[in-house]
Amino acid sequence: MSTHTGARLLKLALPLVRTHGFTRDALAFSVLELPPPETLSSPLSDAAISSLFGPGSKAEHTLINFFFDEGLEHMRYRAQAWSGSTGRSPTIKELLEERLKYNEPVLGHLSDAFASLASASASVAQLGPFQIPPVDPLPGLKHAFRIADEACYLSGDASTELSWYARRASLAAIYTAAELHQITSPHTTDRFLESLLDSSSRAKNSFDEVALFSSYLFKSCKGIIKSLGAN
Amino acid sequence: MLTRNVVQAFRFAQTRGIATSAKPLASSVYMDPGQSKNPAVSTTPRNITEEQRSALDSALRVDQAGEVAANWIYMGQHVVLGRDPKTGPLLQEMWDQEKKHLAVMNKMQLQHRIRPTLLTDVAKVAGFGLGAVTALMGREAAMACTEAVETVIGEHYDDQLKEMESLPEGHPSVPLLRDVIKEFRDDELEHLDIAVDNFSQRAPAHAFLSSVIGAGCKVAIELCKRV
Repeated sequence: MSTHTGARLLKLALPLVRTHGFTRDALAFSVLELPPPETLSSPLSDAAISSLFGPGSKAEHTLINFFFDEGLEHMRYRAQAWSGSTGRSPTIKELLEERLKYNEPVLGHLSDAFASLASASASVAQLGPFQIPPVDPLPGLKHAFRIADEACYLSGDASTELSWYARRASLAAIYTAAELHQITSPHTTDRFLESLLDSSSRAKNSFDEVALFSSYLFKSCKGIIKSLGAN
Repeated sequence: MLTRNVVQAFRFAQTRGIATSAKPLASSVYMDPGQSKNPAVSTTPRNITEEQRSALDSALRVDQAGEVAANWIYMGQHVVLGRDPKTGPLLQEMWDQEKKHLAVMNKMQLQHRIRPTLLTDVAKVAGFGLGAVTALMGREAAMACTEAVETVIGEHYDDQLKEMESLPEGHPSVPLLRDVIKEFRDDELEHLDIAVDNFSQRAPAHAFLSSVIGAGCKVAIELCKRV
């Protein structure tokens, strides 16, 4: 089977995540959803899943990463629809809310998905006599950063130089917090996200004011030195 | 090598003179607010290989960092030599052109979704320091600095144009990208030309100064590609 077939089966497996979670079962049953005349009467064998999507938990990770990729695609699609109907780019808040809504059907399985990704590539480490839990935070961080980057791009954010990093890092942190909140209390997620974005915006405004004040102070000092005839 | 570059600079300046009278500069599309929805300035090719994407990423990252550094070099030189009636306006003119380059590069960074270098602030400090120190050494040394920097940048843009030949021609942003790089290369070589005309080669320890600054620029290019 080709990569194209793999992608098709992943797409068909996504609705099955609601019932089977991000598991090899969801991938196995995806072939039953193929339209006629391609429909198969029995699920994919374990060997076929390993060959198409990777052995063991790698297949599950392929499904999880595909879910994340489709989430970004969903944001792009929604942004295009917004621009078409309102004539303006969507805001960061609208985009992050939309991305969190995309999680809703599989919310019950998200914590397992993150746990599976976090334990994937980490090896057991020792700190003196203690064994450190094998947790790899990179996949989770990468997931949040990609969403923050997409939201910045789609909203037309024009940050450059180091503020490019600061903007994305703060949005990734906000999104991560909102997503964790969503897993435990889904009904208050929008309000929680809004409060985080407001706090971040207030912090940014204060920082900008300090920077502006510093620049005035610097210019004043420069003027005083010039007026003393140093230059 | 230097002679070859000077000859090239003359040739590019001549070519550019003819080109500018025939059609507007490629970068003007980026500076025109009415063109902001034009796919050539608002989209990036998505059907390119990972190698091509990575090459585009590092190329534009270096270019942006280079323009930041160039701005701060001219700023450093202008702080010291800005009041000189002959050199001041010359530096200001080249600096204004670099400001435009940076504004266009910032737009291209956002358009092509490029991660900027983490060394931006290092480039600013190093650029300002280099500009100010060479200007303190004298007018000719400042021009020798311009000559060395613009030689490396001009060659770098030239290499990039060759690399960009593999990008898909069908996407509207690709021909514009090449035209902008060509325009900037010609601008940088024009600055080189100005520096030579203003006696850069009479600077004290000219050969040493040129090779040290040129080597520094090459190291900075390699660092900005990666970091």
